[in-house]
Amino acid sequence: MGATKLQKGLALAVPALVFGFLVAAQWATVAASRAVSLRYIDPLSSTVTSLENEQTALKAQLADVRARLDRLQQTGAAENGSVQELTTRLEGLRDRAGLTAVSGEGVVVAFDMTRAAADLGQDRLPCFAPDLTDIVNAAWRGGARAVAIDDERIVASSSVYCVGGTIVVNGSIVSSPFTVTAVGPPSGILAVMNDPAELTDLKQRRDQQIVDLRIARVPDVTLHGYEGPVIVRSAVAR
Amino acid sequence: MRSRLGPVAVAAVALFLGTLVVSQFRSRDVYSRSLEQETPETLATLIADLNDRNRELRSEIFDLQLRVDRAQTEVAGGKGTLEESQRQLEQLEVFSGQSAVAGPGITIRIDGAFDEHALSDLVNELRNAGAEAIAVNGARVGPRTWFGRGPNGEVVVDGAVVPGPWTVRSIGAPDVLYVAMTRTGGIMGQFQLIYAHTRFTVTREDSLDLPALAGQ
Repeated sequence: MGATKLQKGLALAVPALVFGFLVAAQWATVAASRAVSLRYIDPLSSTVTSLENEQTALKAQLADVRARLDRLQQTGAAENGSVQELTTRLEGLRDRAGLTAVSGEGVVVAFDMTRAAADLGQDRLPCFAPDLTDIVNAAWRGGARAVAIDDERIVASSSVYCVGGTIVVNGSIVSSPFTVTAVGPPSGILAVMNDPAELTDLKQRRDQQIVDLRIARVPDVTLHGYEGPVIVRSAVAR
Repeated sequence: MRSRLGPVAVAAVALFLGTLVVSQFRSRDVYSRSLEQETPETLATLIADLNDRNRELRSEIFDLQLRVDRAQTEVAGGKGTLEESQRQLEQLEVFSGQSAVAGPGITIRIDGAFDEHALSDLVNELRNAGAEAIAVNGARVGPRTWFGRGPNGEVVVDGAVVPGPWTVRSIGAPDVLYVAMTRTGGIMGQFQLIYAHTRFTVTREDSLDLPALAGQ
């Protein structure tokens, strides 16, 4: 009788001890690797932040020079009829290229990983770039006139990619939660977004409570114009 | 005798509200990430990318400043800003896909199974590598181009069915584009693993001719 009790106790105690040992070992390994990498992470992340600040200042400087050039063109247009015609065409082109601000009704999509999913994933940050390109694609398909990821306007040269778990759009870091804003007919855009065949990966992860996803119609929203460089070096108009 | 329904109703409502509040709180309990969670390798890559972008911004500011100076001289000479306006018009027509273009670049030929997501990812990757103009099977890709799937599983680009094999031509620095596409672990390597029976060919081109966006 006593021997049976002891056996039962051991049957529970031994696996518990092994499990406890494994958990402690895992925790110690993670803590040690963090201690080593922290030495590099702090100065490197400070450099990233200072480069982001520099980029913000450069964008403001670029906007200022562009505005000065625009003013000169307006002056030139008043003096010369040919310039007047070109300036009118330029305004239309800037609009099509995404260089000017756009306002109107539209749709906002916001998403991020849930805390519960992040806890399960521990240190690994997922890459949400494909989800963002899927949302942008769905917005264009739904008839959007203009789309932005956070403050980054999507233009012909725009790319969305991940560096680790960090998203880069138009060469700028975009922070979570991620917001895609589309100006255009809300019914058309929502019809595509709500189509079960669209955004399937994202919706599946929403249903699994891995991401928190919100799609909403907005009555009036303004998107800034594209603030980056317009690079045309290799392509020549025919 | 007092009715026992009152407290039960209150309890039910309270329970419902409590559940709503908790579920709302939980659903909004999203994860806020920060740079400190990235690895040193990732941060080093981000630094390189930000440096590249800031260099491009500085170069654009320098170039525009020169153009402002030239335009000021033009205006002072009573000529208006004809030259500057023409130059900007040509640049924006190329950038927005409104004009047919020529230039060096690469051609990617895809022969076999492929889909709209992969094609969209490929265009995204080409833009990331600095492609200035892109066309898929002869149709120019624009700022608002979208990729979808037709009723029979065909690839659809801007509403038109684009059957395979696909030829994606892009204008830009050929070596940069070629290396970006074919580097180890890059998009071509990933495609070759996923679409094992599909043939991918990347070729540098001295000169490509791409049309303007359709319907312009």
